[in-house]
Amino acid sequence: MLSWSGDHAGDTVDLTSVESGRHLAGEHSTVLWRFASACAGSDDDELAAARAAVVDATDTAFMVDASAVAANFEMMTRLADSTGARMPAEVLEARAGAIGALGVAELTSRR
Amino acid sequence: MRKDLLSAQQAAWNDLARPGSWWTADERLELASIARLAIADPEPLPPWVGVSSTDRLDPAAVPAVAADAAYRIARHAGTMTETVYRSVADEIGELRYVELCSVVSAVAAVVSFHRAAGTVPPPFPEPTAGEPTGERPDDVVAAELNWVPVAAPADQTAAVVQAYSAVPGAMRTTWTLARAQYIPEDEMGQPDWMRRPDGLTRPEAELVAARVAQLRECFY
Repeated sequence: MLSWSGDHAGDTVDLTSVESGRHLAGEHSTVLWRFASACAGSDDDELAAARAAVVDATDTAFMVDASAVAANFEMMTRLADSTGARMPAEVLEARAGAIGALGVAELTSRR
Repeated sequence: MRKDLLSAQQAAWNDLARPGSWWTADERLELASIARLAIADPEPLPPWVGVSSTDRLDPAAVPAVAADAAYRIARHAGTMTETVYRSVADEIGELRYVELCSVVSAVAAVVSFHRAAGTVPPPFPEPTAGEPTGERPDDVVAAELNWVPVAAPADQTAAVVQAYSAVPGAMRTTWTLARAQYIPEDEMGQPDWMRRPDGLTRPEAELVAARVAQLRECFY
């Protein structure tokens, strides 16, 4: 979805940037990457700093929207992994490049 | 804060304290409390240790195997395997397992949102008396794309969409949250969709989604 939406926006997304945080495309992507990383982490001080950086770069409403997206994927990852959700073989084949770029091929949750 | 977001999260929170299809309100709230404990646990148990075997909690309303599953899904969902699923479902039942998952994932949504936004989640509501409703689709069948059974016909939609379909209340809560937190399902195919003019672009929303999913080690 990231590379697809990026392509439509005229930005070629390097999926390895999701892991590294480097070479991110988009105006607010650097602060959003830091914020998303902190949301899924356990360092409350880093989360507070990352949140403040998003607000400084945008506004509070933008930060709330980003928080809501992060929360949605805290929900959806648990939904997917607890119910054994998997993609059809043809989809996996089509996404082989993305799977390699994201470095997720060896995860326990691959099924 | 957006009213639709507040409303969806409040509704999800209130649903935790109502009887579901297969669990009472007391049971749902105990599962929700375990999930909240697990998510915030500063020294989380490893995935192979059942929380009921420790002194961190003493489940009163739900079986130990359900308490252990709720903790593991809340904290280590990426480590779930089909073998673990089968062992839990054999003890509590497949549809009770699905509802358990939905309680955990709803708690994860609300607690994670408040932590991200720097606000405090509300306390759990008081439980509503009553027996589980037994609500279920007419036809529940095995799926190829999920371990759990789903409403027929199976595998006509994405695995994450059909995952909770055997428990209608779980479906309603989850997709009400998803519409408010992420994107309404009928807008999912719009690469330039934005909630408001100065809000996140679609690629920005997908960056947040991808990073969270990656750190949660979610292959899907």
